[in-house]
Amino acid sequence: MRMDQINLLDLDAFATRGFPHDAFATLRREAPVYRHPEPNGTGFWVISKHADVMHVSKHPFVFSSMQGINLQAIAPEELPMIQTMMLGMDPPRHSKYRRLVSGGFTPRTISRLEPHIRQIARRIVEEIAHKGECEFVKEVAAELPLQVIAEFLGVPDEERGRIFDLSNRLIGFDDPEFQTSPEDGKIAATEMWLYANQLASARRVSPREDIVSLLVNAEVEGEKLSEMEFNNFFLLLAVAGNETTRNLISGGMLALLQHPRELHRLQSDRSLLPTAVEEMLRWVTPVAHFRRTATEATEIRGQRIAAGERVVMFYPSANRDEDVFSDPQRFDIGRTPNDHLSFGIGEHFCLGSQLARLEIRIMFEELLRQLSEIELAGPVRRLRSNFINGIKSMPVRFSLD
Amino acid sequence: MKVIVDFDLCEANAVCMATAPEIFRVDDNDMLHILIEHPGENLRKKLEEAVRLCPRQAISIGKD
Repeated sequence: MRMDQINLLDLDAFATRGFPHDAFATLRREAPVYRHPEPNGTGFWVISKHADVMHVSKHPFVFSSMQGINLQAIAPEELPMIQTMMLGMDPPRHSKYRRLVSGGFTPRTISRLEPHIRQIARRIVEEIAHKGECEFVKEVAAELPLQVIAEFLGVPDEERGRIFDLSNRLIGFDDPEFQTSPEDGKIAATEMWLYANQLASARRVSPREDIVSLLVNAEVEGEKLSEMEFNNFFLLLAVAGNETTRNLISGGMLALLQHPRELHRLQSDRSLLPTAVEEMLRWVTPVAHFRRTATEATEIRGQRIAAGERVVMFYPSANRDEDVFSDPQRFDIGRTPNDHLSFGIGEHFCLGSQLARLEIRIMFEELLRQLSEIELAGPVRRLRSNFINGIKSMPVRFSLD
Repeated sequence: MKVIVDFDLCEANAVCMATAPEIFRVDDNDMLHILIEHPGENLRKKLEEAVRLCPRQAISIGKD
């Protein structure tokens, strides 16, 4: 692929052909810090190397999250909103917020959820097992993270479908099937906040041993969370806990179906599950990019970056970096070591990483335990997005084991 | 060299334990224990890897 053919703003290409790995192979080789033009903007830096994604991530004072974290420029009036979300904060403020919730996400705390997660995963597979085929995204991949995060947040059963729909409308902002316009995304956000408010009020009156009760009573620097701060925490947890894990389960299943020898290898040796999960994370990389903004003049790999310029990290590219991974374009469920950056690194390292890993491992344990001869039964439809590597639908067929 | 951990940043991911088990141990209560506070030069490479890979960037190397 030639440099002038590269267009990371062509979202239809992402929908039809998936993440442009060939373009990024070219970028890593020829322009590892690449100034991407924008038809109606100043352009942005594309960071495609593993070491550089690490460097940017590890220097939050130089590469700030406060000006927005997607590649598009943000209107100044929208910034205050973004800055009430943890994703849009820098240290030291960010660190204080993170400490509020991080205790709820440690390995020990998360491991307590294992029996419950297994129960849900088992039921999900049981419900499709006798059918011989299903739409994998809706019936399998989406259900588990939705149920788990809803449980975590204390959302009652009857309201979970609504959270699922709201979450789609929030993240699917480039895909007309999920969100018809940016305005619709804002409406979905408002509905989510209204919901969060209701839940917060209920927990103030009768607190429980859950994350919402913890948050409504929490204090940062001697002050309680404002309504907006709490609402955005809730939104972040509800969205981050849903979309990403769903897309990993779908994408991971697809990778196995596209590499039948690896699927067979996993079926024959379940002890490979932990490394298989890491390889799915590397291969799928559900979050395709996050953006930072330079707060001062700096340089990356000899390239000067001016203050105020947008610096966009592309994780799927870092995860195929030839300098880090041997034979990176090979899906190998036994790959060790596997220093992928799908959860990021540093200040904003994914808080849900242990929960995600647990959900994914258990989901595949149950799938492989109950089903065999799994194969694709129709076309895979992808999300129209350069932010989320998502699969919208994926028909599969299978027999009982 | 001296092993320095910012315990406010540590979230018990235990990548350090996987990388340099001689130096780091995360127990079942998510507590990190530094087993060797002043490791010998033979452990420098492993320690530097742990510093590089810690998801929260909570580890640094100080002077003795």
